[in-house]
Amino acid sequence: MKVSAKQLIDRINKTLTLEDLSKSLIQLGHEHELKDGVFDMEITPNRGDCLSVNGLLRDLNVFYDIELSQDTYHGEIKKLSIDFENLAQNSCSQITFLKLEIDKIPDNYIQSLDNYFSDLGINKINFFTDVSNFLSYETGQPTHCYDAEKINGKLVLEEIENNESFETLLDKKIFLSNKNTVFKINDSIINLAGIMGGKSTACSKDTKTVIVECAYFKPEAIIGKSVKYDINSEAAHKFERGVDPLCQENVLRRFIKIVGEHSNITDMSMISFSYENFSAIKIPFNVEQLNKIIGINISREKCFDYLTKLGFIIKDDYIEVPSYRSDINNQNGIAEEIARVIGYDNIKKSEITIPKNKSTTYRETENKLRYFLIDNGFYEVVNSPFVKAASDNAISIDNPLDSNRKHLRLNIVDSLVDNLIYNENRQKDSIKLFEISDIYRFENGLSKKRMISIVASGRLGLNYEDFSKKINLEYLTKLMKEIMPNRTFNIKNFPRDSLDTKSKSEIITLEFDIESASEDIVNVKTTAKPPREFNKYNTISEYPSSFKDISFLVGDSSKMEKLQSILLNYKSEIVKQIFIFDYYYNEKSDNMKIGFRFIFQSNSQTLTSEMIDAVYEDIINKSLNIGGISIPGL
Amino acid sequence: MSKGISPPQLIKEKGSLHPINNMKDSIMNLLISFGFEIIDGPEIETEEFNFDMLNIKKSHPARQMHDTFYVENKSYVLRTHTSPVQIRGMLKNKPPLAFISGGKVYRKDDDSTHLPMFHQIEGIYVDENVNFANLKDLIYKILFSLFGNDVELRFRPSYFPFTEPSAEVDILSKDGKWLEVLGCGIVNPIVLDNCKINSSKFSGLAFGLGIERIAMLKHGVNDIRDFYKSNLDFLNQFK
Repeated sequence: MKVSAKQLIDRINKTLTLEDLSKSLIQLGHEHELKDGVFDMEITPNRGDCLSVNGLLRDLNVFYDIELSQDTYHGEIKKLSIDFENLAQNSCSQITFLKLEIDKIPDNYIQSLDNYFSDLGINKINFFTDVSNFLSYETGQPTHCYDAEKINGKLVLEEIENNESFETLLDKKIFLSNKNTVFKINDSIINLAGIMGGKSTACSKDTKTVIVECAYFKPEAIIGKSVKYDINSEAAHKFERGVDPLCQENVLRRFIKIVGEHSNITDMSMISFSYENFSAIKIPFNVEQLNKIIGINISREKCFDYLTKLGFIIKDDYIEVPSYRSDINNQNGIAEEIARVIGYDNIKKSEITIPKNKSTTYRETENKLRYFLIDNGFYEVVNSPFVKAASDNAISIDNPLDSNRKHLRLNIVDSLVDNLIYNENRQKDSIKLFEISDIYRFENGLSKKRMISIVASGRLGLNYEDFSKKINLEYLTKLMKEIMPNRTFNIKNFPRDSLDTKSKSEIITLEFDIESASEDIVNVKTTAKPPREFNKYNTISEYPSSFKDISFLVGDSSKMEKLQSILLNYKSEIVKQIFIFDYYYNEKSDNMKIGFRFIFQSNSQTLTSEMIDAVYEDIINKSLNIGGISIPGL
Repeated sequence: MSKGISPPQLIKEKGSLHPINNMKDSIMNLLISFGFEIIDGPEIETEEFNFDMLNIKKSHPARQMHDTFYVENKSYVLRTHTSPVQIRGMLKNKPPLAFISGGKVYRKDDDSTHLPMFHQIEGIYVDENVNFANLKDLIYKILFSLFGNDVELRFRPSYFPFTEPSAEVDILSKDGKWLEVLGCGIVNPIVLDNCKINSSKFSGLAFGLGIERIAMLKHGVNDIRDFYKSNLDFLNQFK
């Protein structure tokens, strides 16, 4: 909700900076952004009463001297004769209609009304609708304006369940389904109650006689409808969060006042219908209890002062909650009011001592397996459980995000194979992944298994011992036997036939129920530990990578160490990774052959061969400068 | 081998924990050290545990089909928070009790800052005379441990149906912006009563945080979706 800061400040009897006002609003729980003199408020869902200038001022009144009452029309109003029937009293417990006739449509608006449009950059529509929109902004109570000449029959408010179409006043045609509360005339829908009026009875720039409807719609009757029908409705937002059930007549008297400031009112009449008696909530005024909840020691007098300024009435040791505060119904609600006024940041913390817990270990065996895999070069991944394929026993989502995410997965392997292909497409040739997740299915009711899945493919590792070895069934079997020697595994070779992939490397997979296997996990010494520091991450590149291999002949160990030190620590913006992929000591000739692989990738562009060659030459020059080193074939 | 030749150092690359799981483990261990005990609960929940018991009324926006995933003809929901685990814990145990639970939760969102699946950790402590000032002490301890003792905190009034008073807590970033990191509050007595805990004798505090949010701040990750692409260039930065 956008609110002009000026419109708040103008009604506060104190010189106030925008910063002061912003701080006060934050302290009261009204988060916002402030830009160009306009607060973009994020009002919490329980505070429907604050979705207006008056609502915010009622809260700010606890800090500042504010004139809360506003000019309304105080004169007598004759009774409106309207043929109206409310068949949806459960949805609408109060409703008031006002009929106004003016002699002339104003050419210009008075300053306060005009400022609303200019301060917030809102377009004017027509006179009565503009007044209605302003009033909703000012008081928080939506009203709806019908062109009186277009209301030519009995007006019925009812709940319908059949599918019907309806054209909104913004020319949007919608198809109503399931339960909806609507206003009808002659069995035609003219208004989707509390959400948006219809085109057939809307006011125009020429409307001089208006029927203004001002109602209390219960949140349950409105909730979710504007999203369902994709209608952007400020009124629906307010009704969903709860408006004041007792304000209708007063708001319409304010309507009359504003209209009267622009035109001569030649006729007016009003009628109210009430179907439910409102009784104020009363909560014992128990300061001791309030202090206990917050952990402070505030006096009765201060509590009284704060609550009174917020509109609560305290008498006979009871706090009467104002009609617009539907969010408060117990002592904790009152405690929150007191805490807000004190300021959460001004409440001193008090040492907490929680009795020591009995168990300090969690998923110990599962973690043994995790750290074992990490020690052996596996990366843990986490995937979304939503999948397209419907298989027997798969749980189906009633309201999926899209048709590709209609079910919950029944295995993890498929997700990991997708991850594998994703990384292969990014020129990775040694990929080892695992994931642990709960897998749900319907099988004689809802069932859950905690599964681990392992997928690996390509080179065994990026070092001179493992580089030329390929991941296969034997590798994973041997690895798993280390940590679970007594278990037989169903390790599989995942066929590549159905995959969009160029690689021919075997894809080795394994998936099993980790809880049923936990007794088979033995203690294996692992060195992997969680990182002690939380690294700052560097953005990953989506540009292709390429590599160059350089093999050196080295005569003695000291040169070898120097070569390693220079190359493994070589820094360049486009060198992503360096490792030794080959090493061979030739006893006969007493020299060493060592191969380095350099992987090149840029964060900002696809690298050209010239860019790579420039770095490549620098690497070669730095290596050869060591002396006693040669590059066969160069 | 002549000349004392020694082969090059054999560097066997280790893998890494997923950064979200690692952050979860790290926060869970911290909370265990404060005295909390870990409890688990299902990701597929009934509306009763996910909403009703937590004082989330039928008219609450979170219960709408556009916010919550319903499954199997509305017989269950994918839990929208880890709070139902606390309900299960309170129903099974008598105060004093101090539980934490962490794991996947689901909401019907999908953009650069929201995902349909994300992770939460929540904690609850119920005992005699637990108050808002105690809650503040606990939150300071948690956030000082995560962000350092010099981090500046701000408590703002907020709204959660299961706590009252409720607060959201912000930390001040280096560029002077307040960043929301955590929600907390005093357990609404209605929730205690729902769990057959005498709310006139016991009171509780509760808190919850989004693990992705904390991980994004700690690691400087700007797009939440990066955590779930399984890109090895991303994952190998979290060793």
